[in-house]
Formats: sequence, C-alpha cells, structure tokens
Amino acid sequence: MITIDNVKKSFQGNEVLKGISLTIEKNDVVAILGPSGSGKTTFLRCINFLEKADEGKIVFDGIETDLSKASKKEIAAIRKKTAFVFQNYNLFQNKTALENVTEGLIIARKVPKAEAEKIAKEALDKVGLSERYDYYPSQLSGGQQQRVGIARAFAVNPEVILFDEPTSALDPELIGEVLGVMKKLAKEGTTMVVVTHEMSFARDAATKVVFMADGKIVEEGTSKEFFTHPKEERTRQFLRRYLNDYDYLI
Amino acid sequence: MNLDISFAFETLIQIIPGIPVTLGMALGALLIAVPLGFLLALIRVNKIFIIDKLAALYVSFVRGTPVVVQIFLIYSALPAILNQMIEANGWQLDAYSVPPVLYAILVFGFNTSTHLSEIFRSALLSVPKGQKEAAYTVGLNAFQAYRRIIIPQALAVAAPSMCTASMNMLKNTSLAYMMAVMDITGRAKALAGVGYQYLEAYLDIFVMYLILCLCVEKLFQIWEKRLLHYKITA
Ligand SMILES: Nc1ncnc2c1ncn2[C@@H]1O[C@H](COP(=O)(O)OP(=O)(O)OP(=O)(O)O)[C@@H](O)[C@H]1O
Ligand SMILES: [Mg+2]
Repeated sequence: MITIDNVKKSFQGNEVLKGISLTIEKNDVVAILGPSGSGKTTFLRCINFLEKADEGKIVFDGIETDLSKASKKEIAAIRKKTAFVFQNYNLFQNKTALENVTEGLIIARKVPKAEAEKIAKEALDKVGLSERYDYYPSQLSGGQQQRVGIARAFAVNPEVILFDEPTSALDPELIGEVLGVMKKLAKEGTTMVVVTHEMSFARDAATKVVFMADGKIVEEGTSKEFFTHPKEERTRQFLRRYLNDYDYLI
Repeated sequence: MNLDISFAFETLIQIIPGIPVTLGMALGALLIAVPLGFLLALIRVNKIFIIDKLAALYVSFVRGTPVVVQIFLIYSALPAILNQMIEANGWQLDAYSVPPVLYAILVFGFNTSTHLSEIFRSALLSVPKGQKEAAYTVGLNAFQAYRRIIIPQALAVAAPSMCTASMNMLKNTSLAYMMAVMDITGRAKALAGVGYQYLEAYLDIFVMYLILCLCVEKLFQIWEKRLLHYKITA
C-alpha cells in the first residue's frame, strides 16, 4: 500500500536520516524502535511533510511523490490519507475535544457539520471520552488529551496513522489507557506506524518491527522474529537494555 | 486658585460634540492600524524575502520618531503631494479642502500599526509550533490553520497589549489639535482661549479622557474574557 524509498535528511550538515526505506501493507502495525536521536521522529515527520526530506520518495496507492520537492497539491493529497499523533498531543488549545475531532472533517474534508459531529462523538466514545465532548484541552489530563489526539486521527478514516511516541509524555499510570486504545485500533486492522519505547506494545500488537540507529534501519522483521531471534548485535544490545524487566527469550 | 465651576460646566457641554470626533479618529486609526499591523507581523514572522526587511525598516522608522514630528511631516507634506497629483491628473479636487481629521487618522493609524505589529508578532510567535503542525496533519491549509487555530490563540495573548496600545493612541489623538482638528482637546483649547480660563477647560477634558480610557479598557476586558474562554482550567 505504501512504499517509502531512500529517505535522506540532514540538519545543518548533520545527516540524521541516511536512506530509510520501508514498506507498509494494509493492516500492518509497524513499530519503529531505536535509541534516542536515531532519527525516528524525523522520519515520521518527513512522511507527512512536517519536515522536508533532502531526498526520497513515497509511493502511496500507486501514486509516486517526491518527498524532497512535492507540490502543495501532492502534499495535501498525502496529508488527507494520513493522520498524525504527536508525542505532546498538540490538541488545538482553542477547541473543545469534539471540535478537535470535527476540525479535519468539516474544514479539510467538507463533511457536513451534523455528520461530522456524529462521527466525532463515536470516535470520542470509542476512546472512552463520552463524558468529555465539551472539555477544552486545558481541562483534560494528559492521557485524556492523547486519547482525543488518537480520536482526532482515526475519525478522518485515514489509510495510515503515524504515531510519534504517543505515551512518552505521560505519567506511568496514564500510559495504559492510551496503549489500550492503540491496541484496540490495531486489532481492528487499522494501519499504523508507531514510534515507541513501549516494548510490550511492539511485542504484542505490532505485526512488524523496525529497529533504527544512527539514521539507518539496522534490522526489521516480524515482531516474533525480532524479539526472539534478533540478528544484529546492535539490536541485541538495545533489547537487553530495554527488556531487562521482562523474561525475554534471546 | 479660583475655579469657575459654572464656566467649567458650560465648556463641558460645549466640548461634548468633540467626543464623536475623538472617538471617530481613534476608530478610524484602528481600522488602519489593525490590518496593517497584522500584515507587518505576518510578513516578519514568516520571514518573507526582502519585504520583511522593508517591514522592519518601516517599523523602526515610525517607532523611532515622535508622533508630533510625524504629524508635522504628514500635515505639511501630504497636502502638497496630493495637490501635485491633482494637478498632474486634472482632477476636480482641492487638496487643501481635505478635512484635517483624515490626515490625523492616517498619522495615528500608521503610528499605531507599528506598535500593534510588534504585539502581534510576539503573540504569533507565542503559539506553539505544534499547533500549526497539528492543523496541517488534519488537512488544513496554511490559511485555514492561521484563521482557525493560530490567530484565535494569538489574539488571546495579544489582547492586553492591544488594549494598552489602543489607549495610548486614544490619548495621542489629543495632539490632533495641531492639525486644527476640533476634537475634545481642540474645542477645549478654543473655548479656554476666549476667556483665558484654561484650567477649567483642561480639567473638563482631563475627566473626559479618563472616562473614555476607562470605557476602552472595559471593552477590551470583555473581549479578552471571550477570547480566553478556552483557558479555563479544571
Ligand atoms: N529541527 C531540527 N534541527 C536540527 N537538528 C534536529 C532537528 N530535529 C532533529 N534534529 C536532530 O536530528 C537527530 C534525530 O532526531 P529525532 O528527533 O528524529 O530522533 P528520535 O529518534 O526521534 O529521538 P527520540 O527517541 O529522543 O525522540 C537528533 O540528533 C536531533 O538533534
Ligand atoms: Mg522522537
């Protein structure tokens, strides 16, 4: 469904992405793991044009787009097919939970208001916020805000949702509620790319795991392969550090 | 010191027709200053090539000179320029019959636009970058992102300083008497000059400016409250 090819990106001469390629099939849940600074966020941002890649292309439903020099129209087309969940939620501060979800429907996709509100309410119900439609972000906890963020993402029925460390800004006791929603989406066959440090999510919910380090993909495979038989020494080191709480099976 | 209360009262009544002039000037100036100030801020925030340098230059020129000098300059230069244009184009107009209040509106409009541009600029910069990014990811274009997400949040930040700038401008309109505008100051001066009873007349407008400014402040407070409705905390 989506093929991303050879994405490169430098910041002031510092090469952060050194040619990343990734194929995403429909219903895939791709977990991207990797140490801090390895370029995971930058990669996600390049896919959605929040950052302009220096090189690379994306083929989305057979349509090829150059990530380094896409037209406004091409960018808009890809943004309409994708959704993004941010590490720090980035809910629209001047909009209620409901309005946060309807915004992309009414304004960007021209869905009639009544219908948009129906979709948004269903989305908020699904993430367990049926009591919070009219709350502003400043009145919601981090976990609630992130669930609104996720509702805002899937309500527009995108072909893929990109998650950038959706739980890492949350207090430990709030992580579970957000991961729960994500696992539910995964089970329903939502196509997702998830940058995360939550090994349990990668192990249990991901269909595919990608390990990045220093701007390159070091190893990728099915979740089972990845956690039970990591091939690269670099991967083993990483897993050892993160999984020492678990009974891992290397 | 002898205060002639009845003279003060009589002049007060005669000054009142100047209030619409004062308010009209302030409002007219705001109609120029708000859009212009916002445009200047947008140009500078988005660093639009070359134009942003020109905008910065304009702002520093206007901010770096006294209003009084700007009044002198505009009031002596503009009619002459206008006159040349009229002669060159053969229009049926008299440059010197343009009501001076229009020149006053221009001066105060341009002057205030620079203050507002600084206010809008820092307000726009105070909205976290993530707000715009989130707007893009849900499919809004740049214009929609500004109009629906960024500007409402920036205005909430800017409102208190906009209030100060507007009050300063309202007070500055008192200099319009130098252009023979018959606002409340112009009237007070004229009436006081007749019987050399300056103190009474000046006390009248002292109170009037005070009341007008309090009204402006109150209006801004109401507006600010509406803008900030989303900042209520649980
Ligand atoms: N806008 C930017 N300007 C300059 N350097 C940047 C910028 N954004 C990212 N970088 C650099 O690029 C590198 C990769 O950053 P990135 O945020 O993609 O890493 P990450 O894998 O998401 O890390 P983390 O796990 O900490 O979120 C880092 O060294 C970072 O300093
Ligand atoms: Mg990151």
